[in-house]
Amino acid sequence: MSVVMSRQDVTLVSPQVARKALLGLDVRLVLRGAIILIALFAGLTAVVVLQYASTFGSADAARSLELIAQNPAIRTLFGVPRALDDAGGFTVWRTGTIVAVAAAAWALAMATRLTRGEEDTGRAWLTLVGPLRLRSALLLHLCVVGAVAVGLGAGLDTAMIASGAGVSGATVYATGIAVIALLFAAIGACCAQVLGERRAASGLAAGLLLLGLLARMVADRVHSLGWVSWLTPFGLLSLSEPYAGDRWLPLALLLAEALLIAGLAWIAAGRRDLGAGVITTRGERRPRIRLLRSVRGLATRRALPSLGGWSLALCAYFLLIGLLAVSLTDFLEANPRFADMAAQAGFESLATVQGYIASLMKLLPIPLGLFATLRVAAVAADEAQGRLTLVLAHPVSRIRWATTDTAVIAAACVVIALLTAAAAWLGTRSVGATLELGEAVAGAFNILPVALLSLGAAVFALGWAPRAVTPIGALPVVGGGIVWVLAETFDWPDWLGRISPFAHTASVPATSPDWAGIWIMLAAAVAFAAAGIIGFAHRDLRG
Amino acid sequence: MGSPSPAAVRTEGLTKRFGSTLALDRLDLDIRPGEVFGFLGPNGAGKSTTVRLLLGLIRPSAGRASIFDVDASDAVQAHRHLAYVPADVALWPNLTGAEALALLGNLGRGIDHAFQAELIGRFDLQVDRRCGTYSTGNRQKVALIAAFATRAPLLVLDEPTSGLDPLMEQEFRVCLHEAASRGQTVFLSSHHLAEVEAVCDRVGILRAGQLVEVAGLDDLRRLRVTELTATFNGLVPGASELMDLPGVSVMRPISSTSLALTLTGAPGPVLSRLASADLASLQLREPSLEEIFLDYYGKEAS
Repeated sequence: MSVVMSRQDVTLVSPQVARKALLGLDVRLVLRGAIILIALFAGLTAVVVLQYASTFGSADAARSLELIAQNPAIRTLFGVPRALDDAGGFTVWRTGTIVAVAAAAWALAMATRLTRGEEDTGRAWLTLVGPLRLRSALLLHLCVVGAVAVGLGAGLDTAMIASGAGVSGATVYATGIAVIALLFAAIGACCAQVLGERRAASGLAAGLLLLGLLARMVADRVHSLGWVSWLTPFGLLSLSEPYAGDRWLPLALLLAEALLIAGLAWIAAGRRDLGAGVITTRGERRPRIRLLRSVRGLATRRALPSLGGWSLALCAYFLLIGLLAVSLTDFLEANPRFADMAAQAGFESLATVQGYIASLMKLLPIPLGLFATLRVAAVAADEAQGRLTLVLAHPVSRIRWATTDTAVIAAACVVIALLTAAAAWLGTRSVGATLELGEAVAGAFNILPVALLSLGAAVFALGWAPRAVTPIGALPVVGGGIVWVLAETFDWPDWLGRISPFAHTASVPATSPDWAGIWIMLAAAVAFAAAGIIGFAHRDLRG
Repeated sequence: MGSPSPAAVRTEGLTKRFGSTLALDRLDLDIRPGEVFGFLGPNGAGKSTTVRLLLGLIRPSAGRASIFDVDASDAVQAHRHLAYVPADVALWPNLTGAEALALLGNLGRGIDHAFQAELIGRFDLQVDRRCGTYSTGNRQKVALIAAFATRAPLLVLDEPTSGLDPLMEQEFRVCLHEAASRGQTVFLSSHHLAEVEAVCDRVGILRAGQLVEVAGLDDLRRLRVTELTATFNGLVPGASELMDLPGVSVMRPISSTSLALTLTGAPGPVLSRLASADLASLQLREPSLEEIFLDYYGKEAS
């Protein structure tokens, strides 16, 4: 049917209306994750503040806390403690790094999703053909992510003050977290304008996040490099010293950086086409079909880029952890009583390189489990976007498809664990610490079952709740990790701590492995994955 | 029972519900090997649901479907006999066209490589480009080339030309004729009456999840109607006179100087009668399938 309209008939959509429509779309995409993020971290912060008084009230407890805080492994992870004698100061030290990294990662992922991912899927073509320019859309997206960052800050501030921590420290801390989320939203948006693909943009921004984190670790631990703190976002965050100095200058610097980078993103947005980056990639290349001969080959090929990225990041992190083992030996020489004190408090393994590596390896399941979960989420996305329709119309059973993907992801986890162990070993070796390669590998393999539990949960979700792969898959490592840390810190009842899979791993290589825990977790992972694969094979395919 | 060659596609009481929505209601189909079967219906009639049930991608709520006597739920066996082109072809954006074709060839029953190379030329596909840079039509070409190159006994095509330009649509029809002449069975789901009319032996018509009728090509021709709007400088010819002309089914005055006619079959007699009046302008229009269906089946279906 042909309809001819005169100019008067056509109602032009005003930029205000278009902006409102785009805002509504963004809010729908962001809201669920934002609520989870704010609730989780505000809740966690409040719990830690509240538990502080009841746990560290006695002089004995305070002394053992001081001991934990001096442990080089703990310092590498959590940074320099500024005010352990204060509930707020303790909370900032114990949860600040985790919250800052999670907020930064969420902000950059959201920024690349809104400013690039929506173009990759083609949805933005519908929203941006109207009167909105790319630049105004970019600003709108950044404002949405920024609003969540401010909401997170407000949530943390309220949680701390309501649970009894000091007001001025809480405000410095909460502002710092909000500003670091803003900064990484700007970095994500900037990467997304420069590179033409969401995955590449997220990868680059995540790489910068990691670099910032590594630089802070170096600055904290190597005295001659202390000035590096001023160059990294996480260093600036630490320099704001909530509950000690309450300094605003570092935060003002962070905010200035965020605005500068947002400005760069705004400039870049004006110099690119919709659907492309400032740097355009050539669309043509010769075919590479070696891995396209089988389902297993295809699964491998799909997993390879993220396997490379995660391996590189974790190897860099654990290489640095290995290199920093040197300060552990320095520390033990300078503080000969530490080993005795640690032994008295039941932490004798802290005074050895094996203990140091074991306690840092206990952190590995979190990135490894998230890697596995995101790979399964990619399978769910392939399905939702219709890419499985065509391949599964071939003589390929769905059981084989899902089993192959699961096996390839599990194998990728093993590879990452091996490489990470090798990197940690290389680091310790090059500073002359006595750690065998076998010990490092044993340490990494010891925690693999926890990561595989996440893989099993994610595959289970793929079969029975494909929209919830990410939260269900992340539950064992993120939820389990939080419960475990809280239970250890605050002497929670034994049964509560044992809910967490982390409680069922021993400190390998400092002690011998908890074989029962390992086998039970592996069996559970296999059972979950099998149930998920059966569910996937028998439900309606989406997309 | 015991027929010498099994039906290429058979459905018995095939039903699919999505929650409270009845997407497909007791579909019974029997498609003989070698037949080119058109599956016609407006958007949302349940064509894609039927195709997804035939492929075992979704499970029937009731009834069953089989491909050459293999139950559709046995995907591995059933899919050995068929090749499929979806309406909306989604490919991994990082694969090039050549890589996507290699993958689809390797997953299936094996392909005729020489024929594939020929098809790439005929459909004018640039295979070194990444699928992420392809238009809808180019992605559809990849799936079409992959499907034709398998020489599978059954081709299941779900609106395969929705993104193709007229030239490529023509090439598609040539390929379809070649496939039919080689004895391949074709299940072509479409909402283009003209396309189905041009290539199919027999047609099933689906509306709101129900099979309205299965008809041969000749029966289909009566669906082909033309809507004609004529404006006159002077007086409009008498209504009864026009209604008596062969092929005129509906007459609707628009104003004192113009009228609309619905015409079936040859337009000659009507045109010569209109020409003898003082004709100012004439517009011909083919109604969409939806409109035809509303005309023909609207009352029955509701």
